[in-house]
Amino acid sequence: MINVKNLNKSFNGNIILNDISVIFEAGKTNLIIGMSGSGKTVLLKSIVGLHDIDSGEIWYENILFNKLAFADRKEILSEMGMLFQGSALFDSLTAEQNVRFPLDMFTDKPIEEKNDRVNFCLNRVNIINANKLFPSELSGGMKKRVAIARAIALNPKYLFCDEPNSGLDPITAILIDALIKELTEEYSMTTIVNTHDMNSVMEIGEKIIYISEGEKCWEGDKNEILNSDCKKLNDFVFANSLAKKLRPKIK
Amino acid sequence: MMIKFLTQLGRYFLLLKKVFAKPEKHSIYYKQTMREFVFLGLNSIGIVTIISFFMGAVITLQTAYNTENPIYPAYLIGLGCRDSIILEFSSTVAALILAGKVGSSIASEIGTMRVTEQIDALEIMGVNSASYLILPKIIATVLFNPVLTLISITVGIFGGWIAGTLSGVITSEDFIYGIQYSFIPYYITYSMIKTVFFAFIITSVSAFQGYYVDGGSLEVGRASTKAVVFSSVLILLFNVILTQLLLS
Repeated sequence: MINVKNLNKSFNGNIILNDISVIFEAGKTNLIIGMSGSGKTVLLKSIVGLHDIDSGEIWYENILFNKLAFADRKEILSEMGMLFQGSALFDSLTAEQNVRFPLDMFTDKPIEEKNDRVNFCLNRVNIINANKLFPSELSGGMKKRVAIARAIALNPKYLFCDEPNSGLDPITAILIDALIKELTEEYSMTTIVNTHDMNSVMEIGEKIIYISEGEKCWEGDKNEILNSDCKKLNDFVFANSLAKKLRPKIK
Repeated sequence: MMIKFLTQLGRYFLLLKKVFAKPEKHSIYYKQTMREFVFLGLNSIGIVTIISFFMGAVITLQTAYNTENPIYPAYLIGLGCRDSIILEFSSTVAALILAGKVGSSIASEIGTMRVTEQIDALEIMGVNSASYLILPKIIATVLFNPVLTLISITVGIFGGWIAGTLSGVITSEDFIYGIQYSFIPYYITYSMIKTVFFAFIITSVSAFQGYYVDGGSLEVGRASTKAVVFSSVLILLFNVILTQLLLS
């Protein structure tokens, strides 16, 4: 479980996140949704420690994460996996070397054991016969899947995904969503997904928070989102013309 | 302006503090260092060799042109070529060339990793990204650039001999006598010390420019240009300081 309390973040005096409080539950896919520029990525990067926050608290179970020095964060960082928007695979390493990287860096397992783990993770995300390919030789969907394999290599307790579907076709996007949900349940991870894709919301949104202009406007799940009274959320959910047409029937 | 300069200077030293922190795993850093030996060291031998050859040739021809007076003995051409190459050209000029090749490569590599979130990916794994990315490069260049300088000195003097003898401005015997005449071994030490400083400047300044890139590909290009400009200016500045300290 990750507990965020009264989080505030600004850049050069511009307030990006204003008093955000939320509990992300273990074993669930927790979604942060909102329009582009609403502060989703800043919130996610603040939670994982890539941004220093102005004030507030970020608790990982019973550890106050944001007050820890970099060296003291390592234990929690070793329990995190993150899928970045652009995959962030290391260009100079092949797919399997990317997945092996955290194993080489943080474990002293024998080579055979590491190889088994790499193959297991790549198979788990359905990467077949592409182990030796470099990121530049992989498609967008394959890159995301290799990045997920890298993220789960060390059996993380926490999985963070920043817009996992961006740049993917709808079918591949659904596959990635399904994979994230399966892995979350399989390993009982606390998963946080940043997205503005309504398909993802309806597929995997077990807990959802809606952020608008740096403030949390709504909290609920995928069953509640279509019947919300929050105007900003409704504007977001029913933004496209198909959703607008279907809205009266949904109501 | 002054505040901005001091801020950048502070960030540079804070980055160096991170770079020289204790490595997470020595075996991984060792592999990275070997990789950098190839990319930053071995891959620079070609350009250093070509430049040094022609540099030596031009120094010989120009020295000959400027010492056409019969009161100067011919071997002075060889001596002039040797001392110019050892004292200045093989360390400073080669460093300026390497600032262009290696410096821009380091800044663009690290800058691209920054804008594509690869550095964030390292940080989230708990890796000290500054140390992992920059320390092996510094070690590789500081250890290998003296080798490049020695190659440059050798090839430069050889280029001078070829140009001098083929053009007929000096005989082979006079040139060889000249390069052996009144040789001061300390000049080599002086050149090596300068090279080590220059290698550190090229790598750390270029890495600093790349590491703090903010934006997209345009900013990576700008960082790459800044890396070359700042490294070159600092090389010239430290050339003066080191020469005063080591030769006075």
